[in-house]
Amino acid sequence: MKFSFIKYTAAVLVLFASCTNLDEKEVLYDQVTQDNFFKTDAEYLAALGAAYTNLYGTFGSADNFWPMQEVTTDEMVVPTRGADWGDGGHWVRLKLHTYNADDPRPSNSWNVLFAGVNTCNRVLSIFEPIGTDQSKIYVAELKALRAIYYYWLLDLFGNVPLSTDFNETEPPSNATRKEVYDFVEKELIDNLPLLAKTGPNDPLTYGRVNYYTAYACLANLYMNAQVYTGTPQWDKAIAACDEIINSGLFSLMPNYSDNFKRDNRGSTEFIWVIPYDGIKATGFKMPLITLNPIQQGVYNLGLQPWGGFATVQEFYQSYIDPTQNPGPQGTVIGLDPLAKPIPGTLDKRLSNFIAGPQYQSDGVTQIQDGAAEASDPDGKLLTFSPYINELEPGAWHQAGARIGKWEIYKGGTGDLDNDYCIYRYTDILLLKAEALCRKNNNWNDGVAMAMVNQVRTLHGGVDPYTSMTEDKFLAERGREMFAEATRRSDLIRFGRYNDAYRFHPADPADNAGPNDINHLNVFPIPATQINANHNLKQNDGY
Amino acid sequence: MVNPLRKFKKSWLVLMMFLGMHFSYAQKSITGKVTDEKGAGLPNASVLVKGTSNGVTTGTDGGFTISVPGSDAVLVVSYVGLRTQEITVGTNATINVQLSSSSAQLNDVVVVGYGTQRKRETTAAVATVSAEQFNKGNISNTAQLLQGKVTGLSISRPGSDPNASFAIRLRGLSTLGANASPLIVVDGQIGVDINTVDPNDIQSIDVLKDAASAAIYGTRGSAGVIIITTKRGSKGATTVSYNGSVSAESPVKFTEHFSGPEYVKAGGADLGSNTDWNDEITRTAISTIQNLSLSGGSGGTFYTGSVNYRNNPGVAIKTGFTQLNLHFGLTQRALKDKLVLTLDGNMTKRDADLGWNDAFKYATIFNPTAPVHSDNPTYNITGSGFFEQNFIDYANPVAVLEQNVNSRITKRSNINGSATYEIIHGLKASVRYAQENISNYNWAYLPITGFYVRGFLGVSGFARHGYAWKRDDESFNQLFESTVSYDKRFEKLSLSAVAGYSYQDFLNNGFLTQGGNFLTDAVGEDFNSSLDFKNGLGYSDSYKNGSRLVAFFGRANLNYNDVAFLSASLRREGSTQFGENNKWGMFPAVSAGLDVNKILLHSNSITNLKLRASYGITGALPPSPYLSLQLYGPSSSLFYYNGNYVPSYGPTQNANPDLKWEKKAEFDIGVDFAAFSNRLSGTIDYYSRKTSDLIFNVTVPVPPYPTSTQYRNVGILINSGIELLVNYDMIKNGQLTWTTGINFSTYKAVLDSLDDLAGSYVGATNLGTPGQEQTQITRAVEGEKIGILWGPVFRGVNKNGQYLFDNGSGDTTQDASYKTIVGYGLPKFEFGFTNTFRYSNFDLNFFIRGSIGHELINTYRAFYENATVVNSYNVVSTKYYDPLLKDAQEYSSLDVEKASFVKLDNATLGYTFNMAKSQYIKSIRAYVNGQNLFVITDYTGVDPEVRYQDGTNILAPGVDRRETWVRTRTFTFGLNVTF
Repeated sequence: MKFSFIKYTAAVLVLFASCTNLDEKEVLYDQVTQDNFFKTDAEYLAALGAAYTNLYGTFGSADNFWPMQEVTTDEMVVPTRGADWGDGGHWVRLKLHTYNADDPRPSNSWNVLFAGVNTCNRVLSIFEPIGTDQSKIYVAELKALRAIYYYWLLDLFGNVPLSTDFNETEPPSNATRKEVYDFVEKELIDNLPLLAKTGPNDPLTYGRVNYYTAYACLANLYMNAQVYTGTPQWDKAIAACDEIINSGLFSLMPNYSDNFKRDNRGSTEFIWVIPYDGIKATGFKMPLITLNPIQQGVYNLGLQPWGGFATVQEFYQSYIDPTQNPGPQGTVIGLDPLAKPIPGTLDKRLSNFIAGPQYQSDGVTQIQDGAAEASDPDGKLLTFSPYINELEPGAWHQAGARIGKWEIYKGGTGDLDNDYCIYRYTDILLLKAEALCRKNNNWNDGVAMAMVNQVRTLHGGVDPYTSMTEDKFLAERGREMFAEATRRSDLIRFGRYNDAYRFHPADPADNAGPNDINHLNVFPIPATQINANHNLKQNDGY
Repeated sequence: MVNPLRKFKKSWLVLMMFLGMHFSYAQKSITGKVTDEKGAGLPNASVLVKGTSNGVTTGTDGGFTISVPGSDAVLVVSYVGLRTQEITVGTNATINVQLSSSSAQLNDVVVVGYGTQRKRETTAAVATVSAEQFNKGNISNTAQLLQGKVTGLSISRPGSDPNASFAIRLRGLSTLGANASPLIVVDGQIGVDINTVDPNDIQSIDVLKDAASAAIYGTRGSAGVIIITTKRGSKGATTVSYNGSVSAESPVKFTEHFSGPEYVKAGGADLGSNTDWNDEITRTAISTIQNLSLSGGSGGTFYTGSVNYRNNPGVAIKTGFTQLNLHFGLTQRALKDKLVLTLDGNMTKRDADLGWNDAFKYATIFNPTAPVHSDNPTYNITGSGFFEQNFIDYANPVAVLEQNVNSRITKRSNINGSATYEIIHGLKASVRYAQENISNYNWAYLPITGFYVRGFLGVSGFARHGYAWKRDDESFNQLFESTVSYDKRFEKLSLSAVAGYSYQDFLNNGFLTQGGNFLTDAVGEDFNSSLDFKNGLGYSDSYKNGSRLVAFFGRANLNYNDVAFLSASLRREGSTQFGENNKWGMFPAVSAGLDVNKILLHSNSITNLKLRASYGITGALPPSPYLSLQLYGPSSSLFYYNGNYVPSYGPTQNANPDLKWEKKAEFDIGVDFAAFSNRLSGTIDYYSRKTSDLIFNVTVPVPPYPTSTQYRNVGILINSGIELLVNYDMIKNGQLTWTTGINFSTYKAVLDSLDDLAGSYVGATNLGTPGQEQTQITRAVEGEKIGILWGPVFRGVNKNGQYLFDNGSGDTTQDASYKTIVGYGLPKFEFGFTNTFRYSNFDLNFFIRGSIGHELINTYRAFYENATVVNSYNVVSTKYYDPLLKDAQEYSSLDVEKASFVKLDNATLGYTFNMAKSQYIKSIRAYVNGQNLFVITDYTGVDPEVRYQDGTNILAPGVDRRETWVRTRTFTFGLNVTF
C-alpha cells in the first residue's frame, strides 16, 4: 500500500511535469490568424471587402471627416446647447477654425483614412502575387481606391506620408502635398484600363470603384489643383468631367429628393456610393446627429437622437430669399426666433431641411418638448427655428433647421438604409461649369450657365439665372450640394474659407500652409501620430 | 514486484544519508499547564503534536500530559478566542504555555507560498491578520476584513453599492497594463476570486508584500499575494457555533444641490412640486447575516463545515443581494500519520439586484420642482405615469430604479484536494488538484413604458417597446501541482526546502444577446417574442478564450539557532499569453534576517530585534490572452458585393512576438521588533521597486502597422515607500487590558520612462457625457508621479462672470487651453489606528482609518456647479458655488478638491456571557458594531475615499464619478454562540 502510493506519486510527477507546451494557437478558440484564413474564394472576397467597409461611418456621421468638411463652413454648425455638445469645445473650434492637433475629428479622420490605405496595401499584398486576370482587376480597383483615400488625406492634411508597401515596417515621413497629388493622379490614370466602365446601377460594381469613380476623383483633384499645387488644371478638369458626361450612362434625376430617399438605389446620378444599410452596413447616423431627442418617438427610432447638427440661418436664407434665389413664391418658415411663416422662394431643395413645427407620428399633433428652455421664445411646442440664438453656450435645444436631405423614415435603427452618394453626376456637371467659367475667366460662360440652369430648374424648380457671378455660382452649388461634404473644399477654392460668416470671424491672414495658402486650410496632423512616429513633422503653422 | 520498490526506498535512504541526516525516534513525555493572560489555568485547551493526530485537551486546571516523538516535535496549543502558539519541545520535560490575545507572538505561524514559517523566521515583508483582528459588522466581502489593517495594502470601495467590488492595491501601482490587484491564494489554490470563501470561514489572511516573498508565484506575483487560510477542524468533540447579525444601513451624505425654491430662483423651470429625489430613491437597509458551522475531529479525521446566508439590501430602492454559501474542509490522516489527505469545497450562489448607478446622478440633477408622477401628456411621455423630460442623460431616478431590472446571479464553486505523503521523516511529497468554476448570469430589462436611455446596453428603452439583455460569462480554471518538501534540523541549523511543478489552465467563454420590441412586458424573458430578432435588429455575441501557465519552482530556508535566517527561491514560469520569442521567464529571490539582539545587544527586555533584507523579481501577465498574435476579425458591417452583403475581414490586432511579462525587481529592508515581554512589538519596512517592460496597449503609427494599437513592453515604473506598524499593550494587569496599534504607510510611484511609441503620457481619461467627452482630466506622464490630475488652472471669475484661467506664464486669460498638473489622485500616506479594551466580560474595539494628501476631481461639480446648466439640470451647490458665474461650464482646477480624510471606520462593543454552568452552551458573545461612524474631511463630494482606478483605467486615480453611491452609516447587532 505504502509503496504503491510512492509509485503513484512518482508517476504523477513525471506525467504532469512533462506538460510544458505553451503554443498559444492550441488554446485559440474564437480568433482568426493568417494561418487559418485566406484560403477560400469567400475569404479572399472578405479581404477585399475590408477596403470598402472601412468607409462605413465616414460620410454621414459625426465621427470623422464629414463634419470637418461641413461644420468648418458657412452651411452647418454644431452649437453648444447648454450642457450638450460642448465636448471640450472641439465643435466650436471647428466652426472658429481654432482646431488643434489634439482635437478628435482630425485624429479620427487620419485613423480611418490611413486604415483604408493600409487595408488596400495589405489586401494588395495578398492579391498581387496571385497574377490571374481576375486578381489583376482587383489590384487595379484597390490601387484606385487607395488613391481616393489619399485624395481625401491630401485635401484634409496636405503633407501626408505616402505608404504603398504593406511589408515596409519603418514609420514613414511626410511627403509634400505636391508629391501626394502626383501620386493620386498617376495611380488613378495608370489603373483606368482595368476598371469597369459600368453605369450607375450595375450590381457588380455598385458601391465599388469603377472607371467613372476614378474620373470623378480626378475631376475633383484637377479642380483643386491650384490649391494643392499652385498650378491650375482647368482643361484636365473639364476633360475628366467630360469622360463621365459623355459616357451617356448618367443623367439628372427629375426629382431631386429621390437621390436621397430611403430606397435610392436606382438613381441615375450615382457614380459612387456607400451602400449603407440600417442593419447590415451601418454608420449613416443622420437621424441621431440632427434630430431632437424627443423625436425618437415620432420616428420610432432604435436610439435617442442627440440633437446637434443644424444649418446656419444665412445658408437657409439663400434658398428662400427671392433676390438670391428667384423662383416661385409661397409660404416658408421664416428667420425670426418664432419661426413664423413668411413669403419666400419655394425651392424644391428645401427638402434639405427640417424646419418649423414638428409633429407626432399622426402628422397633426405638435410635439410637446418638456425640455424646452424657458428662454426659447417659441415655447414648449417643438419648433425648429432656422434662427440660432448663439454658438455657445446657450443655444436652444430647438434652435436651427435640421438636416432633412436624406429621408428619415419610421422604425429605423438610428442608422439609415439610404445610400450615401460620394460622387454624384450633378456635382460633376457643376464642376465642369465652374471649370469652364474659370478657364474662360467668365462667369457668364454660356455653356456653363446652361448647365447651372439645368440643375436649378430641374432640381430646384426655380427660375434660371439670367446672369451669373462667382457668388451666385457658389450659392447655387451650395443649395445643390448641401451636406454632401464638398463645402470646405469649395470655400477654399473660392477663397472664401477664411472670410467672416455667421459664428465665424475672419481667420488671421497667413501663408504658412502648403503653397503659401493659409495654414488653416489644411488640418493639423494629429498629435497622437506625431507622438508615435518621430519621422512625421507637423504641418506649418500648428 | 517487491524488488523495484525496495530499491526505490533504498535509493531515498542513500540519498538522505548522503545529505548527512540522522533519525531519532525516541518517545518522551511532556507535562505542562496552559494558562490565560492572567495566569489562570485554561480548561479544555487543545494541545496537539504538530503534523499528527496525537493530541490531548487540558484538564480543569489547565494541566496536560502528552507523549511526543522527539525533541524536534512541535506542540500546537490553542484555545478558542486566544492566539494559537507553537512550541518546539527541545530538551524540556515541562512546558507551560500562556495564551493571550496579545498581538505580538513570535511563534505565530505565517503562511507563505508553498509552506509556513514561524513569524520569528520570516525574512521577507509578510503581514498576517488573524480572525480576531478582522473588521467587524456588516461585512460581505473578504477585502473588507482587511481594510486599513495591513501597512501598504490599500483597499477602497467608495460609496455604498453592496454589489460593487473593492479596489485593492499593494504598495501602490506596479503595472501599466497588467492586473493591478494582488494574486489570491485560498488554502493553496492559486488565482481564485477573493470571495471564494465566506468571511466567516476565514481563519487568517497573510499578505506577501515584497518581491522576495511573492517571487515564488512568478508571473503573477507583482501586485502582491494575499493568502487566505480557512478554519479547520481540530481534535475533540464537535463544536457547533452560530454567528448571526442584523444591520441597519442608512444614507448620511448626498451631493449638495439646489432645493426647489433655490432652483427656481436661479432660473429653473418651476413645475410646481417639491421633491427630494435622494429621499425618494433611498431607504434604511436592514441586512442579516447567518452563519452556522460545526467542526471537530476524532481518530485521523478532522472536519469543518459551515453554511452562510446573507440578505443584504442596498440603500437604493430595489437593489441588494442574497447569498448562500457552503463550505467544508476535511483532513484525513492515515498510514500512521504519514499520509495526509485534504479535501475542501466552497459553493456560493449570489442573487444580486444591481440597480442603476445613474439613479444617484439623476437624483442630484433632476428638477426638484418636478413631481415623481404626472398625468400631463407633456411629461408622461411613455405613458408609465412617471414624470419625464427629454434632456440628454436625464431621467426620473425613481422610474429608473422602479421600472428597470438589472440583476445578476453568480455561482462559484471550488474544489481543492491534496495528498501529502511523508516518505521518510522530514521528506514529504505532495500533489494538489484544484478547480474553480465561476458563472455570472446577467439579465436586464427595460419595460415597454421605460424611458431610461443610458447604461451599458447602448440602447434606449424609450420607443423600443421593451428591451431585454442577457449575458452569461463562464470561467473555469484548474490547477495541478506537485511538490517535494524537506525539513531537517542539524544541531543549531534547520533547513526547510521545497521544490515543485505547477500547471494551471484557464478557459473563459460566454455570450450575450439583446433585443427589444415585445408585445407585452410579460414575454420580456423570451427573445423568441422579440420582434427585433424577426427584423434583424437583435444583437448577439459570444467569445471563448484560454491560456496556460507552467512553472517549476524551488525554495530553501535556513535558520541558524533562531538568530540568522536565509531564504532563496527561484521560479521559472511560462505562459501562452507571452509572445513566441519570450515564452519563459525566470523569477529569483533571496532574503536574509538577523536577530541583532541575540548576537549584539543581549538585552533581556528585548525579545526580538530582527533586521532583514530581501531582493526578488516578480512578473505580471498581459491582461488577456492572444495579445501577441496578429489577429483578423470581421468588420461589424458587411461588404456589398454584386447585389448582396457578404462578410468582410480585416486586421484587428497587431502582432508582437516579443511581448513579455512585466518585470518587477524589488529591494526591501525591514526591522521586526518585540520588547518588554512582547508588550511592544512592531515592524518597519522600506522598499524600492522598479517595474520594467511595462505592458501597455500603445498607439502605433498607421502605416506601417496594420491597425492602430499594439500591446508592447514600453516603460519603467519606480516605486518606493515606508511602512510602519507598532502595537503596544498599554494596560495589561488585572481585569483591564488595553492594546493599541498604529500602522502607517507611504509610497511614491513614478513613471520613470516610456518607450518612444507610447508617447510622453498614457492613461488619459475624459470627463464624459454630456458635453465633456473630449475633456481630458488625468494622465500618467513620463518622469512624473502616477496619479496626475490634469486641467486648466482656475484663477477666478471676472466682473462679467467669466472664468479666468492661468495662461501658462502667470497671467490670466479666458482661454482654458493651457493645462497642467492640478492635483494628485493618490494619498501621500495612509494610516490605521486601533484600540482594544477588555474589562471583565466586556470588550471594546475602535478603529480609525485615514488617507492624507490625495485629491479628487469632483465630477458632479465639474458638470453641474454652474447656474448656466439650469435650463436642463439642477445645479450642484457646494461651498464652492459662485452665483456670479455666467460662463458656460468649463472643467478646471476649481473642481479638484483636497480629499484627505480621517474616519471612525469600525467600532465594536461586545459582552461575553459566563456560561460555566451551562451544560449545552459553551459561550455566548453579544456585540454592537458601527461602521463609518464619522468622517472628517474637507471634501464636498459624498465620499472622500481614494479612487484607485477610473473604471478599468488603473492609470487614472482620483476621479470621483457621478455614478458613486451615497455615503452611509451602518449599525449592527450580532450574536456569537458556541455549543
